[in-house]
Amino acid sequence: MTDIRTESNAMDLIASSSAAAKNRRRNERIRNIGIGFAGFLTLVLVWKLSVNYFNVPSYILPAPEQVVVALWSGLAVPVTSPLGWYLPLWSTMANALAGFLIGALLGLFFGSLMAEFRPVETALMPYAFALQSLPKVAIAPLIVIWCGFGDGSKVAMAALLAFFPMMVNSFAGMRAAEVERIELMKVLSASRLETYRLVKLPSAAPYIFAGLDMGIVYALLGTIVAEFLGAQEGMGVAITKAQAVTDVAGVFAALVVLGVTGILLHLIVRWVERSIVHWADRGKH
Amino acid sequence: MTIAIEAPAGAMIAGEQAQSRRSPLIAVKDVVKVYPTVAGDAVLALDHVNLDIESGEFVCLVGPSGCGKTTLLRLLAGLDTSDAGTSSLAGKALNGPSPEVGVVFQQANLLPWFTVMQNVLLPLSVGGARKSEQLITQIQALLRVAGLEGFENKYPYELSGGMQQRASIVRALARDPKLLLMDEPFGALDALTRERMNAELQRIWMASGKTVVLITHSIEEAIFLGDRIVVMSPRPGRIVRELKVDLPRPRVSTEMLGNPVHTALAREIRMLLE
Ligand SMILES: Nc1ncnc2c1ncn2[C@@H]1O[C@H](COP(=O)(O)OP(=O)(O)OP(=O)(O)O)[C@@H](O)[C@H]1O
Ligand SMILES: [Mg+2]
Repeated sequence: MTDIRTESNAMDLIASSSAAAKNRRRNERIRNIGIGFAGFLTLVLVWKLSVNYFNVPSYILPAPEQVVVALWSGLAVPVTSPLGWYLPLWSTMANALAGFLIGALLGLFFGSLMAEFRPVETALMPYAFALQSLPKVAIAPLIVIWCGFGDGSKVAMAALLAFFPMMVNSFAGMRAAEVERIELMKVLSASRLETYRLVKLPSAAPYIFAGLDMGIVYALLGTIVAEFLGAQEGMGVAITKAQAVTDVAGVFAALVVLGVTGILLHLIVRWVERSIVHWADRGKH
Repeated sequence: MTIAIEAPAGAMIAGEQAQSRRSPLIAVKDVVKVYPTVAGDAVLALDHVNLDIESGEFVCLVGPSGCGKTTLLRLLAGLDTSDAGTSSLAGKALNGPSPEVGVVFQQANLLPWFTVMQNVLLPLSVGGARKSEQLITQIQALLRVAGLEGFENKYPYELSGGMQQRASIVRALARDPKLLLMDEPFGALDALTRERMNAELQRIWMASGKTVVLITHSIEEAIFLGDRIVVMSPRPGRIVRELKVDLPRPRVSTEMLGNPVHTALAREIRMLLE
């Protein structure tokens, strides 16, 4: 009798402790959202008050509500309307994602090669460093000359910018693979490819995700820069168009759209990371 | 270093046996291992180590911490090479790991991105190993024996240190290797679990005819498990004595206490280690 009672008590305890942990996490999240929201409101308030107080003309800094109106005017239209944010955002996103995929895969490929083969590392490292320290958006005009004003140069720019963090991170991550784990594979007479696939790649996963996180934002940046240089469509074009007619509220609205997109992409990467690399940073006993 | 000059009685016996029978499974001759250090001065880890191990033998390696036990085991596993001397496995010079050898490392060394089941099945999915039904059934039985039933789908970080170590033992046995090299496999376990695991290891060894080399800090464990106990000196590691354990099998831990052979052996090893 007593046994059963203790057991059910224990089960209750487990249930209540996991419920408590869930509660704690939820409360923390609500608090964080609250803090973020309060900070945002303060910012908007300061913005509004200073625009009013200093009488800033709207072609320099529009009031918050003007930005909201501009934002809304682009949202409250059919998805296919040329006046909305949807078409340019779609164009920018499609090119940025395509470039991101290409750049990330190439980065992973070359990073792996460098980590796996010393001669490749010796041969490529100097160029990697040189290009890494070059402000890569400065290459954009050249890329436009090579790839034209169409989607090609946007994808190329996005790929270029996503490539470097991925290459560097996957290289570093694979080199950081624990010797003991590689020795385990040696003891099992595993092939080089098996060791790569089962030990080095998973070891590098936290680094790779950090690279993806940077890469996705860089890819967006690369696409916008290419669009600035005379493309036909995309958010970069929307910004230059608004700028041409000194519609500063429109520029701000476009920036808000891009900012929110960037945050969403970052959150997606983090979410995928958490579900794949759940084992990282868990204590070794 | 008068200890090294003293003729190891056990080694003589083993040597004669090797002469009279076929060549030993493992033959280590005059092996020297030197580690370079960052400071520049090299560390002499193994100093002319000689060791023959017969096929089917259970050898326990004891010695003070830092004396070179792991170093010797790594040489046998083919993970390191010696700086002088020769070592051979089954008549062939040791160069690199062999798929016939199972290794239990001093740390559990499970892959954190795999579940317990994936970890213990790893030896069957790499290195050209065949995944037979029989081996998988055997692994499931081993998991049960190791008290890991119900934890197959857990990740290593969800296990205690001792459970991780037990899983790594199951992994080392997965291919049913002919030679098992174990580096303090039960160091992380409580006394009772340790005794149970010792008994299981003895059972597995008796049933399978494997050759086992096991490093331990526990004199009790060495006497309980070993056919022969190899005692090493403090660094630089030398073999100071080899002792035969003349106790009938299967040994039962409760019957060991107070057994005069056991008492005498334990006292001798203790004196050698001091
Ligand atoms: N990779 C290495 N580089 C330099 N020195 C090393 C290395 N590995 C071991 N040593 C040195 O060699 C000696 C023997 O080390 P080893 O790990 O074989 O000891 P051990 O007998 O296994 O000790 P323990 O019982 O504490 O595990 C130690 O003094 C250690 O400092
Ligand atoms: Mg050791």
